[in-house]
Amino acid sequence: MESIKLRKITSLWIITVLALFIANIVLGIVMRLNQGEIIHEQPATFYAHMTTHGLTQIGIWFVAGMAGINYLMERYLKTSYLANVLAMIFTVIGILMLWISTYIGNFHAGWTFLYPLPLKVMWAKWGTPLFLSSILVMGIGWLIWAVSLMTQILKKYPLSKALAWQHFRKNPAIQTPPFILISMITLIGIIACLLGAVLLLAMYAAEYFSNGNFVNDALLMKNLTYFFGHTIANEMLYLGLAIIYELFPEVGGRPKWKTTWYVALAWNCTLVFILTAFFHHLYMDFVQPVGFQIIGQIASYMASLPAASVTIFSVLVAVYRTPIKWSLTNLLFFIGVAGWVIGGLGAVIDVTISNNFILHNTLWVPAHFHTYNALGNVLFSLAFFHWFSIQFSSKGNFEKLTKLKLTLLLIGGIGFLLAFYIGGAESIPRRYSNYPAEFPMAAPLAIAAAVFATIYLVAILIFFFQISKRCLNILFSPSSY
Amino acid sequence: MFKHIIFTFIILSFFFCQLAVAQIASTGFEEENNIYDRVYDAKLSFNSGENRTLAELCSGKPLLLALIFTRCSGICNPFLLQLKENLQFKNNFGEFSILVLSFDPRDTQEDMMQLARWLNLENNKQWLFATTRDIEKLNLSVGFHPTWDSTRSQFDHDALLVGINKEGYITKKLIGLRNQNDLGLLISSVNDVFSPSYRLPGKNLLFSCFNYNPETGKNKPGLGLLFLTLPPVITLLIVFGISYGVRHKQI
Amino acid sequence: MQNSILLLFLVLAGLSALVFSFVYFSSKKASVEGQGLSNPLRKRFWFLLILFVVLGIFASVTIPKSPYFLFADETPARVIHVSAMQFAFLMSDKAIDPKTPAGESSIELPANQLIEFRVTSLDVNHGFAIYDQSNNLIAQTQAMPGYVNRLRWKFKEPGNYNILCLEYCGMAHQVMRATLTVK
Repeated sequence: MESIKLRKITSLWIITVLALFIANIVLGIVMRLNQGEIIHEQPATFYAHMTTHGLTQIGIWFVAGMAGINYLMERYLKTSYLANVLAMIFTVIGILMLWISTYIGNFHAGWTFLYPLPLKVMWAKWGTPLFLSSILVMGIGWLIWAVSLMTQILKKYPLSKALAWQHFRKNPAIQTPPFILISMITLIGIIACLLGAVLLLAMYAAEYFSNGNFVNDALLMKNLTYFFGHTIANEMLYLGLAIIYELFPEVGGRPKWKTTWYVALAWNCTLVFILTAFFHHLYMDFVQPVGFQIIGQIASYMASLPAASVTIFSVLVAVYRTPIKWSLTNLLFFIGVAGWVIGGLGAVIDVTISNNFILHNTLWVPAHFHTYNALGNVLFSLAFFHWFSIQFSSKGNFEKLTKLKLTLLLIGGIGFLLAFYIGGAESIPRRYSNYPAEFPMAAPLAIAAAVFATIYLVAILIFFFQISKRCLNILFSPSSY
Repeated sequence: MFKHIIFTFIILSFFFCQLAVAQIASTGFEEENNIYDRVYDAKLSFNSGENRTLAELCSGKPLLLALIFTRCSGICNPFLLQLKENLQFKNNFGEFSILVLSFDPRDTQEDMMQLARWLNLENNKQWLFATTRDIEKLNLSVGFHPTWDSTRSQFDHDALLVGINKEGYITKKLIGLRNQNDLGLLISSVNDVFSPSYRLPGKNLLFSCFNYNPETGKNKPGLGLLFLTLPPVITLLIVFGISYGVRHKQI
Repeated sequence: MQNSILLLFLVLAGLSALVFSFVYFSSKKASVEGQGLSNPLRKRFWFLLILFVVLGIFASVTIPKSPYFLFADETPARVIHVSAMQFAFLMSDKAIDPKTPAGESSIELPANQLIEFRVTSLDVNHGFAIYDQSNNLIAQTQAMPGYVNRLRWKFKEPGNYNILCLEYCGMAHQVMRATLTVK
């Protein structure tokens, strides 16, 4: 069972993530208002917002997922409190460094910091090393955390059991809980992509300190960047799925889900597909070997198979004609899975090379990944946050304003996302601080997106106040059960 | 286990900081000129007394055109020697001929035969040696600009190899002494093999993911590919390492 | 083509939303014992198979349409060299010297003939994206320093075509553009 300390650090994670999320949504709204010509910022400022917004979002929802699985993992084994705290410290320091580099140093090389842009300094000279160091700091904290959690799993479950290989035989003696299987697979992927980030940063450092003697290969750096970026964004989603496998049946008053041979197969396959799908970010780099391009499309298509036929099908089967005790927690999970499916549809369309030819770097791209997050992964984490916060509160109606919150999330989220999808179909470029005159729909779409995002924000604010109040109580409660 | 991470990171940083590679100076942009221009249909004179035009010649087999002069005391001889060396064992590139053409009006068919004998290529059917009266127009069409240096009585010029396909279009140019990979790309281009991209000449090739191997026509894994596979490989090592380490402790 | 993509997406998304809603409401109406789904494993298998076949068809139809080998067997009538830089596209019939980069003030291309764009960058990654007169994106490739990407295209309609930068490249990314005229 988990300790008081773990409860408190988890509460702190939740409050931190939600506070940063609110600040970040505001940044996003400011960006859309600028694109809608309602406010008028310097382009460099807009791009500083863009850099901050992108990285902060990935960062906070990644740590939200990690905090969630860390907390739930205590049901099965002992986890390291020190690693958890270290990750918190490194993350906060990293985010502070990031925000200083962008808002004081005006670093605006984008949240994908694609080589060699960070080295073409059009901002404070110290902006680049501070920015790259911020990624390093966060990466080290997360690497320690991931390795620590994986070590604790391996102390209890031998590797083959952690990967649930015994389920390929009939009637295995030891059952691997789905939560442990998915956590293990995801942690392996996380470690791989964080090592990719370390390698990427080492190559940057080598060039930065070489005084022009060493120049990196732009294609290799792009491959490394997307190996890191694509993989971490997807693993972040899978952390949310691990939480769903553990909590969805429990919250609905249903029997616990068990690992079967197809669950084990699906998740083991996912590990391979997720590490090779990143090639789809380089389709328009004709210089990439064609074999890699095709692997990108095939692996990306294949990655959808275990997701659809196992996780999504299981969720639907678990709900179909089954009496479920519905509450905000499992409603959020359920809607989040639907959001994830729809984001996946947008993704599969874009991951088809011949479509990518006319969709790449238009608004279609942020359309699909905002769907995955704003109406997918964020809801998974919000569900966990809500569930966690009510565990230790004895009084109160925890379903207050559920209908309002869900309605605002859906209206705000769908409206905001539709503006992106329509923009993508109109070939409006992404990452433009202002839109050229030949796209008359661009500014109105941006304004509409800002309005709907504000509606979404209202929902998040309600969540924030309700959940943070309960989490603050947990954080400042005396150390006793 | 923190030690493993710090250790790995330090090793990696050390390794990469040692890899300081100087960039080669050439920009090679001049090679980009005249691509898909039609080469001038010069009238060629061979030692056998045969006269053919360039268009007739390349309609049979695509050509690699090497522009030299026999009184050259500079790059021409090493250029031809290296070309011969690089092509010696290349049998499965597809069909092509090498036309060694003099741009010096003083050179005669006899001079060219002398050159062929010196290179031991007088009986090699793939190598053709010729002169032409239309050299100025030909030079213009391939973007070749030799200049006469009267103090040394020599032409100053690039070592130029021009790929010409069967229809008489210039498909690719190589300037300077080049390696087998670049030569392979040139030969592929005259055989109309389309490649959607290529690296600019002069950039360091240390970290490319694949290097085109002209012999097999396939891509060979490069150092860059190793770097790309390093993170998953190291992760697997970490997973197995920890798995073994904790088992060991428990026993 | 973008409109058919959007339509396909909206239809599929709508269907998915309907499925989820239907399943949700079936749960609300479920009796205490709960009927659930009969033969879930078999249905799961069929679902996977159908999905696999659909994706397989999509892959085999679309992969040959990839832009890497467009018009590979033809000889281009014109080769246009493009050097992208912060924040302009230099375009020229002649090769562009990176030391003294210069482009032509206007580029005129013949309609219905094969044009090959040789695209590179002099500094950071850029995106070379061609938009037609209806402001639809019709073709693109990346401009990467140290490499040349070859984009082959035939312009069917005469008129002006805009080139926009489609890879974030810094503070003037949004105003980095060029024009082509097709006659």
